Amino acid sequence: MTRAFLVAVALLLAALPARAEKLASTVSSATVQITSSFEGTTLSLFGTIEPDIFGMPLIGPYNVIVVVTGPLQDRVTRLKTNSWGIWTNTDQVVFRQFPSFYNVLASGKLDLIASPEVLDGQNILPIAQAEAASTEGATPKATRFGTELVRLMTQQAHFAVREDAVRFLSDTAYVAQVTLPSDVTNGPFLAHTYVLKDRRVVAEHTEGFSVRKAGFENFVFVASRQQPLLYGIACVILALGTGWLAGVVFRR
Amino acid sequence: MQIYLPIAELSMNLFFLVGIGGAVGFLSGLFGVGGGFLLTPLLIFSGVPSPVAVASVTGQVAAASTSGALSYYRRDGIDLHLALYLILSSTIGAMAGVATFSLLRSIGQLDLFISVSYLLLLGFVGSLMMAEAVQTLLRRRAGVVIRDKLPSQHSWMHGLPMRIRFKKSRLYISVIPVLVIGVFIGWVGALLGIGGGFILVPALVYLLRVPANVVVGTSLLQVVAMMCVTTILQALTSQSVDVLLAFCLMVGGTVGAQFGASAGKYLRGDQLRALLALLVLAVAIRFGLSLVLAPSDPFSMAVLTSAGAAG
Repeated sequence: MTRAFLVAVALLLAALPARAEKLASTVSSATVQITSSFEGTTLSLFGTIEPDIFGMPLIGPYNVIVVVTGPLQDRVTRLKTNSWGIWTNTDQVVFRQFPSFYNVLASGKLDLIASPEVLDGQNILPIAQAEAASTEGATPKATRFGTELVRLMTQQAHFAVREDAVRFLSDTAYVAQVTLPSDVTNGPFLAHTYVLKDRRVVAEHTEGFSVRKAGFENFVFVASRQQPLLYGIACVILALGTGWLAGVVFRR
Repeated sequence: MQIYLPIAELSMNLFFLVGIGGAVGFLSGLFGVGGGFLLTPLLIFSGVPSPVAVASVTGQVAAASTSGALSYYRRDGIDLHLALYLILSSTIGAMAGVATFSLLRSIGQLDLFISVSYLLLLGFVGSLMMAEAVQTLLRRRAGVVIRDKLPSQHSWMHGLPMRIRFKKSRLYISVIPVLVIGVFIGWVGALLGIGGGFILVPALVYLLRVPANVVVGTSLLQVVAMMCVTTILQALTSQSVDVLLAFCLMVGGTVGAQFGASAGKYLRGDQLRALLALLVLAVAIRFGLSLVLAPSDPFSMAVLTSAGAAG
């Protein structure tokens, strides 16, 4: 009995990855405040790779991939085709819980620093997000629409793969930079960091930050959602007042 | 200078917004129309999501029409009785319009519907106005004395049951065509983000034979009232009225409208109508081309619901 238990423990220990590294990281601001002059912003994510057991030497070289994911939304991709001379939306695929923002930041070429198993297994590439969110599974049509969705999101600066966005300050300390566009979706963001050695993940860490409107912008947004009737009446009073005022000012 | 629009959730140039508001306001003051049919497509073209553009322009049209309506009111140029009937019926139309708007948005054919509607509506009204204006211009050139149609001339519509006397318009007509026009204007206005003045004025003149001295004032009052109702309805249902966007457009629009109204004094009525017809036709052709020409990108995307967005 005891012997069987020892064998089991030994097997378990062998199965666990021998992790010698751990990651300590932080983001430059936990909350991105959107004010009236917001034109997008750049955040820095700092981290250091540390030995898991004190005093153990770290043997590099290390590489880092940071995946920044924005709030999830239901999104639809539509295809226009020409029927009877008129271009109309004729086909669509819905993507549920699809990120509104997705940036892959890396310290080198993804193919070189990570093995295919890591890239596929962790769903790191943007296209994997579309495949996971597709409501039509992995049909050729869903894959085609997913590829186009990623392309459209990339065009609008919401999706990106930046293989030069992580810079090593020393052998074990790095800084990653992520740029949020001015029309970034408000809500919770996640930054998942992978530390890689010999193309395998040796440590990972997740932290969050949030993007939210501040001050007057926040007041307006909350009012429009929580008091829509009062908000609408306020808009009307503003319109009538502006029109009346212009009439008075320009009256001769 | 960029300004962040909290409902549209994007930032735009403040001077650009005030500028297009002013330019469209100038035209609306010149021609006596709200200008929504120009402003809504312009905003959509500049990247504002179409629900936000349609809903916010209603506020701008209300503001631009208010100063006009007030000045007509002072000059006693409004048939309040007729306006009341139009406002009540167009409110019902606007409710139907907002409901249709939500329905089309959910089935993904909003853009197609807006394009086709603009094409048909503007193409039809523009062609009619153009034909009429060209006819008048040619006759004037030929030296024929033009006699405006008398308000006493009746059409079959006036003979329908439920007749009502509108004192100021000197009309004794059936209430049915009045209500039908009101409902239609309300529906189209809410759906397309336009005041409908450019449809209402011809409808009142040619269908109901409302005399010229009250037609513009009555139409403006109806546009103000309907746009106010639509703004509140949009705020309640689609929650896409961006007050900051609307305010930027209002400031430009109301100022532009005053200059437009002064400039309008230097042009004759038929010349103005011909120019407006050209403008309306140009917008119609623009929408027509977008339906017929191959799009630069056959794929497009849209957000269905916002799951993560919160305060």
